[in-house]
Amino acid sequence: MQIRPILSALRRHKAGTILIALQIALTLAIVCNALFIVHERVERVSRTTGMNESDVVAIQNRYVGTPASYVPLVKTDIQALRAMPGVEDAYATNAFPLRQGGWSTGVQLKPDGQKDGVQTALYFGDEHALKTLGVQLIAGRNFNAGEITPFNRDDRPAPPQVIVTKKLADKLFPNGDALGKTVYYSKGRPSTIVGIVAKLTVPWTEVDFPEMVTIMPLTFNSSYQIFLVRAKPGQQDAVFRSVAKTLYDVNRMRVLPEKYGVRTFEMVRSRAYEKDRGMAILMSVVCAVLLAITAAGIVGLSSFWVGQRRKQIGVRRALGARRSDILSYFMTENFLIALAGVVVGVVLAIGMSQWMFTHFEMQRLSFTYILVGVVALLALGQAAVFAPALKASKVSPVEATRSV
Amino acid sequence: MLKMTHLAKVYRTEVVETYALRDFNIDVKEGEFVAVTGPSGSGKTTFLTIAGLLETFTGGHYHLDGVEVSQLDDNARSRIRNEKIGFIFQAFNLIPDLNVFDNVEVPLRYRGMKAAERKQRIMDALERVGLASRAKHYPAELSGGQQQRVAIARALAGSPRLLLADEPTGNLDTQMARGVMELLEEIHREGATIVMVTHDPELAARAQRNVHVIDGQVVDLAEEPRFHAHAQAAHS
Amino acid sequence: MFSYYLQLGLRSLRRNPMLTALMVMAIGFGVAASMTTYSVFRATSRDPIPQKSDVLFNVQVDNWGPENIKKNEPPPALTYIDATTLLRAHKAKRQTVTYPIGVSVIPEDPARLPVREGAYATGADFFPMFDVPFLQGSGWTLDDDEKHASVAVITKSLNDKLFNGGQSVGKQVNLDGHLFRVTGVIEDWAPQPLFFDVPNTQGFDEGAALYVPFNRAVDLKFPNDGNNNCVSEPGEGWEAYLRSECIWLSLWTELPTKADEQAYRQYLTGYAAEQQRTGRFRWAPNVRLRNVVDWLSVQEVVPPESQVSLIVSLGFLAICLVNTVGLLLAKFLRRAPEIGVRRALGASRKEIYAQFLIEAGTIGVAGGLLGLLLTGLGVLGVGLVFPEPIARLAKLDPVLVVLTLVVSIAASVIAAFYPTWRAAQVQPAWQLKSN
Repeated sequence: MQIRPILSALRRHKAGTILIALQIALTLAIVCNALFIVHERVERVSRTTGMNESDVVAIQNRYVGTPASYVPLVKTDIQALRAMPGVEDAYATNAFPLRQGGWSTGVQLKPDGQKDGVQTALYFGDEHALKTLGVQLIAGRNFNAGEITPFNRDDRPAPPQVIVTKKLADKLFPNGDALGKTVYYSKGRPSTIVGIVAKLTVPWTEVDFPEMVTIMPLTFNSSYQIFLVRAKPGQQDAVFRSVAKTLYDVNRMRVLPEKYGVRTFEMVRSRAYEKDRGMAILMSVVCAVLLAITAAGIVGLSSFWVGQRRKQIGVRRALGARRSDILSYFMTENFLIALAGVVVGVVLAIGMSQWMFTHFEMQRLSFTYILVGVVALLALGQAAVFAPALKASKVSPVEATRSV
Repeated sequence: MLKMTHLAKVYRTEVVETYALRDFNIDVKEGEFVAVTGPSGSGKTTFLTIAGLLETFTGGHYHLDGVEVSQLDDNARSRIRNEKIGFIFQAFNLIPDLNVFDNVEVPLRYRGMKAAERKQRIMDALERVGLASRAKHYPAELSGGQQQRVAIARALAGSPRLLLADEPTGNLDTQMARGVMELLEEIHREGATIVMVTHDPELAARAQRNVHVIDGQVVDLAEEPRFHAHAQAAHS
Repeated sequence: MFSYYLQLGLRSLRRNPMLTALMVMAIGFGVAASMTTYSVFRATSRDPIPQKSDVLFNVQVDNWGPENIKKNEPPPALTYIDATTLLRAHKAKRQTVTYPIGVSVIPEDPARLPVREGAYATGADFFPMFDVPFLQGSGWTLDDDEKHASVAVITKSLNDKLFNGGQSVGKQVNLDGHLFRVTGVIEDWAPQPLFFDVPNTQGFDEGAALYVPFNRAVDLKFPNDGNNNCVSEPGEGWEAYLRSECIWLSLWTELPTKADEQAYRQYLTGYAAEQQRTGRFRWAPNVRLRNVVDWLSVQEVVPPESQVSLIVSLGFLAICLVNTVGLLLAKFLRRAPEIGVRRALGASRKEIYAQFLIEAGTIGVAGGLLGLLLTGLGVLGVGLVFPEPIARLAKLDPVLVVLTLVVSIAASVIAAFYPTWRAAQVQPAWQLKSN
């Protein structure tokens, strides 16, 4: 292809050339970063919790009044829940995955309590917890009913038996022999690892210990309780609708908050990733509109150039240029401009990513995304210029003889 | 009215200097009808654009209506073009987006005239060229001769002291050309000063005085052949 | 002349409806994206109490030591020991401690279910310090604080719920079985960001419906409903918790003059030095006294999502502008012959500038109207992108409407500068000479 004559022609249209290249460069920078944000967020939203999330209903309960102990109330409620038609199992706890609020502490191998240890989230529960959550026990055993003890708010959580996630077990005991070992959640109070589950995530979505979880055989002696209920397959909606009434029938002196009192796990998940989903939607829309506007801009400017050069095109045609020559002239011209644009755009994209990395602790842009962006914009440019180029190729050689 | 002495116009590019006009002298008196003739590339059009303050010049002096114009800024030059000069071009140069009335109105708008006076003047000018009935038409709907008459109306509407015409009949057939020429003569008879550039000897003959330009200079017709040999394509 | 140019501009825009639509859409979309994200950013970054934000100060004391803090920033809240000692010293014009409490309100009518309400335990100074607007009665007194009185201030919403909106000063509210006497009813007051409780709300929350005296709440062992951070084990029981190094309380002071601020800072440093002398702190005094704006900025209440989306939207607007520059350039230069004729007929460069900038301005107005419509839709749709407590703050108010229009017109006029300059450079002679 005759690149040199195209370049010299472009030199005579500096402003237009620079404007298209600049637009492509900026679009590349924004689109790469925006798509990367979408990717990052979608990746987060699609993370699993290790639970069998279907058919789970979560209830946030607060008892009203000040009885000597809340434990009997909890027991009665749990029994009522397990007896509900359509309910497979249920238990009471302090937190669960994606709840965005819960407890965490350091666990260590030594009893002295000097160092921080490994950070872990704490979930209270009884022998029904594993079944209700739908997590898989891969080593050891479940709790038994006799091991469940009450836990007061001001106590230190350090029961004799615990079940941990595989990630936590491996972190504490890299040799893979965690089962039966002793660890310390509180100074001088040993806990034995009696079971290991395959996977379970912490309540928070933005921490650096996402799968470090300990399940403790404790019942929280507090006005504040969370009940997790597993419905029988297909019964989730029925349970969701009737569970509040069941609880109020047991005891009216309680509050189930209007907004988040009773939720299916889909609702929990949707709320936990609200921001991420929102960002993904926003960035996708921005990308789509941006690409459309850039394409339209290229169509507009290319059409103008074609219009401006009708006579020139006519002369070329009169001198023997074929339609395909004219078409490829404009296609090549656009390709060269777009190429210059993407080169600058790659630099801008990396710069922008670096800036966001330092300011918002975002991940750095991966090269795949830059590559995808480059290919996408070059293709967009070619697609956008095609119609004007086709129009140019249809200019009649007679134009050469017309004055204007 | 229009007096140029030792006027020079040089086009400079990175590689070459081209003299479009050199030591150019001309003196047009008030009320004269002068035809400027010369071969293609002789510099006659450059003379006209400088005379009309469309372009600046490189050396010498130009007095228009007694005013030395070389030191004037863009605003003052625009003002003079607007108030003292009327242009008639070979290609008519009507604005295609505007209808006849609006085209004639353009110079009056820049003069900041009141709407009523503008309307009066536009209708008078169109009356004069016989196109009052076409005020609402667009240029594309008119014949070449009619378009040129609109252009003349536009030139006349501002009552200029000097009318500059560049090949006013160049794009017209013989019959239309005659009509336009008669109109110019009539305008002259009413007292306007007219400078007309043309390469058509027949047309030139109808002017009061002929000035011949070759190779950027006003020459005696007798000396023409000597210069003709190396008349170069200056900017045209 | 303005109306003439406007008329010419409109006529020219009508001649290329596609091109005009493209420019109007580019400006409209760009401005709408920027304005929508700006409305969120504005809501999250605003000064919640502008009339007093420079005299209200949050107090921080480093009781954890350099090993347990990052970048030498003291913990975001105080221990019970530090908060109450500083409070009792009365070194500021006004001072108050706050913490969120989890309580349920039991209606008098036994047929009605108990309701859970957001509540804060705080001091008498809270209400005058933060200009809390009262509808009935007033806040409790410093004397009530001293006497550990069972008094409460409730919001209009709670008053509507409990007392059907009637006069309720002097009536009793039952909180988990404890009776509190209402001293005043306030509007549903919740400045955003909720500056006085950033550590527990990240700055955005519906606010509380109920306020009770701090001393009384501690007596009743009302548990802290917010974050509780400990670097060492507090030991068991409420008393041990109060003596622990766990942080859970916010202390705010009102210091009307620079001198007051200076004096308080000195006092605070002195207090930390004293703790070092007695051996409680094994590090040099590390304290902070920050006004509302600084406090919100250090706590980073503006969500990164809001900032990132604003930046991306501004980039988007920039691209739309470059796009518009290109299209205007094409449009204006296509009219070079017309410009030449106008110049020949006496238009000065200035007049060409005016004509084309006004033409661009009309695109700006059209883009602005489209932008306004889209911004309106965008603000309605903010809930799809941002969590509800933040989304509900984004509003299309008159300021945003005016700003949208101004930005659109300014953007299109700025975009028109270069094309207009090029248009004004058109040499009349060059256009006319050759055919």
